[in-house]
Amino acid sequence: MDNEVLNEHINKDYEWGFVTDIESDTFAKGLNENVVRALSKKKNEPEWMLEFRLKAFRHWLTMKEPENWAHLHYPKIDFQNISYYSAPKKAPELKSLDEVDPELLKTFEKLGISLEEQKRLSGVQSNIAVDAVFDSISVKTTFRETLSEKGIIFCSFSDAVQEYPDLIKKYMGMVVPYTDNYYAALNSAVFSDGSFCFIPKGVRCPMELSTYFRINSIGTGQFERTLIVADEASYVSYLEGCTAPKRDENQLHAAIVEIIAHKDAEVKYSTVQNWYPGDKDGKGGIYNFVTKRGICLEDNAKISWTQVETGSAITWKYPSVILKGNNSVGEFYSVAVTANFQEADTGTKMIHIGKNTRSTIISKGISAGHSNNSYRGLVQIRKGATSSRNFSQCDSLLMGDQCGAHTFPYIEIKDKSGIVEHEATTSKIGEDQLFYCKQRGIDMEKAIALIVNGYCKEVLNKLPMEFAVEAQKLLAISLEGSVG
Amino acid sequence: MIAEKSHTAQFLIEKISASASKVGFVNDAVLTKALLYLENKGIPSNKNEDYKYCNVEAVFKKEFKNPEQRFIGIESISPYRLPGTMCLVVVNGTFLERLSDVNKLEGVKITPFNELDQATKKKIGSIANVESDGLIALNTAFAGNGFHLKIEKGTQLQTPIQVIYVSGSDGESIVNPRNLIEVEEQGSATIIEQQVHIGEGKVFSNLLSEKFVAKQATLISYIFQNEGPLGYSVNTNQVVVAKEGHYDNTTITLGGQLVRNNHQVVLAGEYSQAHLNGLFSAKQQQVVDNHTLMDHQVPNCESNELYKGIVNDKSTGVFNGKIYVRKDAQKTNAYQSSKNILLSDDATINTKPQLEIYANDVKCSHGTSTGKIDENALFYLNARGIGKESGRKLLLASFAQEVIDKIEVESLREHITHLFESEI
Repeated sequence: MDNEVLNEHINKDYEWGFVTDIESDTFAKGLNENVVRALSKKKNEPEWMLEFRLKAFRHWLTMKEPENWAHLHYPKIDFQNISYYSAPKKAPELKSLDEVDPELLKTFEKLGISLEEQKRLSGVQSNIAVDAVFDSISVKTTFRETLSEKGIIFCSFSDAVQEYPDLIKKYMGMVVPYTDNYYAALNSAVFSDGSFCFIPKGVRCPMELSTYFRINSIGTGQFERTLIVADEASYVSYLEGCTAPKRDENQLHAAIVEIIAHKDAEVKYSTVQNWYPGDKDGKGGIYNFVTKRGICLEDNAKISWTQVETGSAITWKYPSVILKGNNSVGEFYSVAVTANFQEADTGTKMIHIGKNTRSTIISKGISAGHSNNSYRGLVQIRKGATSSRNFSQCDSLLMGDQCGAHTFPYIEIKDKSGIVEHEATTSKIGEDQLFYCKQRGIDMEKAIALIVNGYCKEVLNKLPMEFAVEAQKLLAISLEGSVG
Repeated sequence: MIAEKSHTAQFLIEKISASASKVGFVNDAVLTKALLYLENKGIPSNKNEDYKYCNVEAVFKKEFKNPEQRFIGIESISPYRLPGTMCLVVVNGTFLERLSDVNKLEGVKITPFNELDQATKKKIGSIANVESDGLIALNTAFAGNGFHLKIEKGTQLQTPIQVIYVSGSDGESIVNPRNLIEVEEQGSATIIEQQVHIGEGKVFSNLLSEKFVAKQATLISYIFQNEGPLGYSVNTNQVVVAKEGHYDNTTITLGGQLVRNNHQVVLAGEYSQAHLNGLFSAKQQQVVDNHTLMDHQVPNCESNELYKGIVNDKSTGVFNGKIYVRKDAQKTNAYQSSKNILLSDDATINTKPQLEIYANDVKCSHGTSTGKIDENALFYLNARGIGKESGRKLLLASFAQEVIDKIEVESLREHITHLFESEI
């Protein structure tokens, strides 16, 4: 169609691609048992934590890097060519913001993440508590005191290991054991930091909690883990955001997120994933191999995943819910956008074990340029999960004739009272829809944005407001003009 | 890494070789390739993504420990014969001219593999790649004397052709029936393929059929499977449809301990179309696995799939349908629907409807649903004086009707309707 417009937008820069010049303490590249020990020592971890890491590492050594099964193509990752720890030099244990390296503050300021508690996002009612993770470590967790008044624990994972060892011991690895998969094992061995959150019985978390991940150093991998525990009848909404500098090399990000929802608890987890996707020729970008899983441990629990995936060169991610408690609910809302040479293989698993459990899957894939976008999902209704219900819908939108859109849904039903429905469609933006808009004086760009936003609306509506605004902007940047 | 050779495959090769007929329908190079592939890759197990829900290797290991290949002959096929058709008979993998109505119809040519000319022989195996599937390799290496069926150019065949594959043994046996079917330009034909099992021994029937539908030709194909608890079968059906060609297949599975159907259709010419329909009803420990691949290679083609399944007792039903739209296959229209009913808590339904799409100007969709019999519908019938059992039967029959109605050959449709109603 309009080539000028197309080019302009394809060439649009990744505006978070800057590098912060900050002194960091970085491990030499390579991975062996000594690195794991050194990492643990650096973080001053108790013996049990080191044991956990070593067990995971030894298990990882016995595993083979997964090949072929996902619809992804990328060169083999050299795990010895990655540094497993990098942290800004100034000590992270800070009481007040004044002690934080001003460079860091500036970085997060630039990313639109305020680490100063009194600052409110314009036009937004509530504050957001942020745990900011810079390379391997958490630099600052805001609103910790305010939250602790309610009994809510929100801190970096490292702090939690020191301060709440019983909780960590009890819950870590409960949903994603280190034996789960290759990247989960790797993460369990070398994870550097992350966030921990515990909402006590009956508490409704008064603000959105959020983790912001930033990769800065060159040649490093980022391995963090997030653990969210919602005790009986509690509620929390959790946000995750991420960016990385523009580089020609591919950097590895292998994270774990675990969610445990007790009786009547509800956890809402939203992600806007915006790691550097590589340039227009497919050079550079983050390899994003993430294991996210939640468990509705007891009756009436609810876990909801919402994700907007626009970044990363490779995305390999299946946020899942194990519906163990009776009447528990799992939800997955996803928009995945791939442009240029990006590849995404993402979806969810809904494992129905408890009676009368329900799950909903809405997945919207958009592919442009030379990219490939796959939905891969599993809906499993186990024997005894009576009267369980699932509805899945995965739609794909193709822009351009060089890209691909794929769906790989697995549906396994072992209970006759289960009802499972699955629908999928693939199409392009309708010429008639575009014509309709243009005829009414809406130009091509705006028309596409309008149609794409309408297409994703079901998912975007599920995001907290601040995030929805960001997500809409991101969609526009990733896509406008890609129709050719 | 050194590939470990498959023990199961080696064992099978050893056992079958002795009794296999040496028809020589493929050249030695292909034969060697097939044997090598079989030895190295083996018989597909559940570790193979395409056989995730259908572990054929385990079936061989467990049920065919000692394939003695003690076949029993057959002298009459009259109980299976449908009236008003031309009949071809394949007994234990070998085409039997003696029992078949050979060359009775004008424009139809039937030739056993061992009498084929070189040019036609070359077509055998041109769709079925021996290095794509261990079972194709097994068939290629050990197939008996199959047949070549040709509908000559411009022949509009009114009489349906019935192909009966009878297999019978009094021990454990493995048979590899094979055929090549060609419908030449502007020809049209209806072919009914039926699998029958006789005798007291288990038979594993590894059937492979290659079908060519030429320009503006039409092939209506029906596959009817009702083998009983001693019949195990893998039915690989690979089809290429040329420009403006039309291929229809309806597969009805009512019996067989293990039934695996591999339907692969390549839409190779523009404006061609294909329709795949299927109905299965499984009971006891049966496993019925329907695998379809609709390969849209060129623009402006259309495909449709409708699969319905009913599983009872401890049976398992599988539907794996893949729509593959290649890069330049613009203006593709592809639709797929799979609906299943579970009648028992021990039954399992696994479905995997796949879309792999590399062209943007397409309309592709799939839908699948699985559930139990609608209680409200049943109540509606009960309230009107229709008993529980007959209400249930009525609902299941109406569920199946949509697929059964696709059968245009009246005698076959009635036969299947009757059998289906007595099954449920």
